[in-house]
Amino acid sequence: MNKPGTILAALCLFAGLFSGSVFCAEISEPSADNIQEIIRDEIVETILKERDIQKPGVHTVYDYKSTVKIPVKISIKEKIKSENDVYIGQEIKFEVEDNVFYKRKLKIRKGQIVKAKVGLIISSGMNGIPASIVFEDFKIDNVENGKLQNTLEVFGQDRSLIVFPIKWALTILPPTGSLTNFIMGGHARIRQGKTFTIYYHPEWL
Amino acid sequence: MFKKLLLFGFVMVFPLASFAIEDIKAEDIQKESAVQKRLNDVGVSILNSNKIDGRVVFVYDKTEVKEKLKLDKTLVDRQIIVYGYDYKFIEDDNELAAFLSRRIAEAYRSYPGLFKGRLNSLKIKAAPKKYQIIFDKIGVDYMVRSGYNPVAMITLVNKSYPQKRGDSLTNNATSKRLAKIYEHICVKYPYYLVNNEYYNNKNYQNFLLTSQDNRKMLEEKLKNRSRKELNYE
Repeated sequence: MNKPGTILAALCLFAGLFSGSVFCAEISEPSADNIQEIIRDEIVETILKERDIQKPGVHTVYDYKSTVKIPVKISIKEKIKSENDVYIGQEIKFEVEDNVFYKRKLKIRKGQIVKAKVGLIISSGMNGIPASIVFEDFKIDNVENGKLQNTLEVFGQDRSLIVFPIKWALTILPPTGSLTNFIMGGHARIRQGKTFTIYYHPEWL
Repeated sequence: MFKKLLLFGFVMVFPLASFAIEDIKAEDIQKESAVQKRLNDVGVSILNSNKIDGRVVFVYDKTEVKEKLKLDKTLVDRQIIVYGYDYKFIEDDNELAAFLSRRIAEAYRSYPGLFKGRLNSLKIKAAPKKYQIIFDKIGVDYMVRSGYNPVAMITLVNKSYPQKRGDSLTNNATSKRLAKIYEHICVKYPYYLVNNEYYNNKNYQNFLLTSQDNRKMLEEKLKNRSRKELNYE
């Protein structure tokens, strides 16, 4: 073999061995000394573990074959001044406004209490975007979970419908259009007795 | 003689090479189809479990990232495109559910409202930072209802979103997003933190390591039973 060929072969062998050893180092199993130290989650240890915690309900078995959908009118029993007046997980009570019949049988009686929880609070934003409160987990006696609508979102005054046209009209006079960014949306105020409609699907799972 | 040999070699090798290319293509198609099936399985179970009555579809696109001039189809076509870049961070079905559920929340938000949902889509475009946090929270809710572990939202966001110096006009700092997601799980679904399957996960431990100040703030809030909104960093 000539001299340059020998050098080239030696280089190739060296490169092959070197890359192999690097690869081996990358995939080697961590030793007991390398196992990371576990960081304690103080919130879990000191606060959450002392509470009585239930596993949240899941809805993984369903059957949406039926098209029967019955509106249920409900009215809120308390006044909510704004989205800042409530907190996540707070129980809110509603009252059924009319009797609900299914297959000529009374399913939900007028005056029956409907319990719901505050699931999400969205604060009002710039550009007239309104605040909203999402109610979820509706519960009525004698009505199984999963047969009622999941959520009900109640919005404040939506000013974006006014803001966007003004913004576009003012784009020819910069930067006046951008000033409309500072128009805030309305708070989610709900007066006592305000009526909403949720849907009851008697044949759904 | 040499020319004849070359021609013979070419004739022998060319069909073999073309067969090899076809094999590789078929293998690629099979891989893509398996990923697409996984997206559909997880995505549709989130839609069904949450009674989402608007159509949303899922598409796997193996290209690395979305081209800059391409429109995001989530709000317009209610089509969730999972790019190769995003998919490579996903390790299990919980993390895939985390990715899809926050995008489903975005797509579903474009259904109701004036002008067939166009006004709502415009609001999302006008306030992306606000809605980024909202969709994270709704995504967590969707995950829980469809039986997935919401802690995966933390591990996915922790490893796949870079930490910029602070809030930009369109995005929240990732540490702030993570703190908001953690607070949402802590308040609404503490079960998953007490029985935490991801506790020994390296990404979750990294979140715990990097979020100590924010978690300290939350700890004080929970101890004092305060309802004040925290300014996470």
